[in-house]
Amino acid sequence: MAAHAHYREAHPLVFVITHWINLVCMVMLAFSGFYIHYPFFDGFMGVARGMHFVAMFVIIINLTLRIILAFTVKTATQLGSREVETDIKNWLPQKENRHQFWPTVKYYLFLKKESPISAKYGSLQKIAYLATVPLTYLMAYTGFGLYGPTADWGFFAGGVDMVGGPMNMRIIHYFGMWVFIIFTMIHAYLANIYSFAPSRIIFAWKETVESEH
Amino acid sequence: MAQEAHGALYDLLAVRGVSRRDFLKYCGSIAATLGLSEAMVPQIAAAIESGAKLKPALWLNGGACTGCTESVAQADSPDVATIVLEILSLNYFETVMAAASDAAEKVKEETIAEGGYILIYEGSVMTGFEGGTLVVAGKTGLEHLKEAAENAEAIICVGSCAVDGGWVMGRPNAAEATGVQGFLNHEGIATPVVNLPTCPVNPEWVVAMVVQYLLVAGDDAAKFLEMTPMVTRRITDAVYGTDVDLLFPKSLFGQTIHDNCPRRGHFENGEFVTEFGSEEEALGYCLYKVGCKGPQTFTQCPVTRWNRRASWCVESGSPCIGCGGLNWVDNNTPFLMRLSDMWLGDGLTYVQPGSIAAVAGGVVAAGLVVHGLGMKAAGRVPGGAPTEEMKEYDRKRMAKKGGDK
Ligand code: HEM
Ligand code: SF4
Ligand code: SF4
Repeated sequence: MAAHAHYREAHPLVFVITHWINLVCMVMLAFSGFYIHYPFFDGFMGVARGMHFVAMFVIIINLTLRIILAFTVKTATQLGSREVETDIKNWLPQKENRHQFWPTVKYYLFLKKESPISAKYGSLQKIAYLATVPLTYLMAYTGFGLYGPTADWGFFAGGVDMVGGPMNMRIIHYFGMWVFIIFTMIHAYLANIYSFAPSRIIFAWKETVESEH
Repeated sequence: MAQEAHGALYDLLAVRGVSRRDFLKYCGSIAATLGLSEAMVPQIAAAIESGAKLKPALWLNGGACTGCTESVAQADSPDVATIVLEILSLNYFETVMAAASDAAEKVKEETIAEGGYILIYEGSVMTGFEGGTLVVAGKTGLEHLKEAAENAEAIICVGSCAVDGGWVMGRPNAAEATGVQGFLNHEGIATPVVNLPTCPVNPEWVVAMVVQYLLVAGDDAAKFLEMTPMVTRRITDAVYGTDVDLLFPKSLFGQTIHDNCPRRGHFENGEFVTEFGSEEEALGYCLYKVGCKGPQTFTQCPVTRWNRRASWCVESGSPCIGCGGLNWVDNNTPFLMRLSDMWLGDGLTYVQPGSIAAVAGGVVAAGLVVHGLGMKAAGRVPGGAPTEEMKEYDRKRMAKKGGDK
């Protein structure tokens, strides 16, 4: 599954940009989040909160835009292919992903020798990429439950009451950050385990042809 | 008449060393606490002056430490608040009243039978052991509360215990304690309940509510509810598991401590106390890192302040322990940590969320390193393992079909 080319059709420029925005916002949110959680040096709280509050709006707008674009932009149906299709079809599980969840797990647990047939992404990656959507919105929901200007809106206050108060909301929000950290570690690992060609295309929009491996 | 009452009140105040000026200033602070304009001060003063000993009230003690009584009575040197509370004709107040035993119970029963009184309730409602943890005059506290609540015009819950069970309902809640509203919902008693949390209650808030009820709302429960902006918070009752809506006066419990804290400037500047006894502490820096629960606690402590408006927890150097919050002990311990501990279950222990997160993150990071080495050892990198010819699923299906043939 690794030895294929990486063409721009897989990640059109607009998605390279949304991915960059995601990355920058996530780094800002996680860094400022860690700082808000426990200020590990002095003199930064005002900036940390400001950073968090800016990045949180940007990331929500960016994600929403990314979802809308999925219905209008065409992307490659397979890595290493220039054949394109509306992006949402390649984002949601494709027919090649069907029945491949357990074989993929087995492959990564060294219980299966051959690499499983996969679509644009393998079953595990597909699940992870899809899960980031509700997870980001969940971060937004729990975050706005803590955010002064919105915390007393019924929509958010109801959630705060449901989890048993603002302290529990903070803990859920804090754990949510760790889910993202863990996701990012696994995501970066799986994407780059065979070569850094995927990083070249998603960050620098540089194509790699098969023979360069 | 008015002149006479005037004289009587000022005599009373004078005896206790309170000048007329102090009294008017105090009326001003009530107005501020209630969110009323300065223009209301003369009205409040006049109402208090003429209103003495008008409204019957009962003060019942449930499962608690009597700290709220202490807080309100301030017995060593009564201040204006105590005197103002004398507008209430407290017909029954276990800890403080002069009457005792049968005589006291009789007055209480008569007051209940006559109706038209306010019930002030201090302490949790201990439902465990069929109410046997608290028995007064041969009846359980639960029965006393039911009787008194049914006929009351309104109930003022003083202190966090009366609100939702307070510290008494903290894990493991052996007495099966809960709050007044939850209990009354369960019993189907619809008397309006106003909640005044913190542990103990702040006497200024009791006074503010009494003034609001008797003088601003003209001694009318419906009008009082209508005129007093409220915050509603929904909790799950500690004992019955039902959803319970609690009413809190918005002017007292509508904003966080953090939003009104005098140390807030230091918070934004990122200037924190990390250790007690340090230079940062002497400089009055923010107490966030030593566990201040101000950001999660909705009370007016920084505005009203405590002990005759002298100071309050954070101002005097202690992080807020969140005593005005809901389920406040379980939600705010350890007091000196930023986040509360998580309870892992019976027979297990408490853990800080940060420890759980760091272990999970560490395990995954280590797992990936090991996995990467494994991928290398298996010869899968950089070329990748050869891709299967056909999905396992399809192969199995084909085999089955083949077998059938
Ligand atoms: C997407 C929308 C988000 C919103 C609306 C949001 C909002 C907030 C707010 C209001 C706070 C409290 C700040 C304060 O009280 O000063 C907070 C804290 C925090 N946020 Fe977010 N946030 C969002 C996303 C994220 C993400 C993606 C992460 C991590 C990757 C994150 C990590 C944290 C952490 C760790 C804290 C500190 C929690 C604690 O008190 O221990 N947030 N956030
Ligand atoms: S001392 Fe507490 S309430 Fe005050 S600014 Fe710091 S964290 Fe907020
Ligand atoms: S400052 Fe915090 S701990 Fe102190 S009385 Fe107010 S709510 Fe309770």
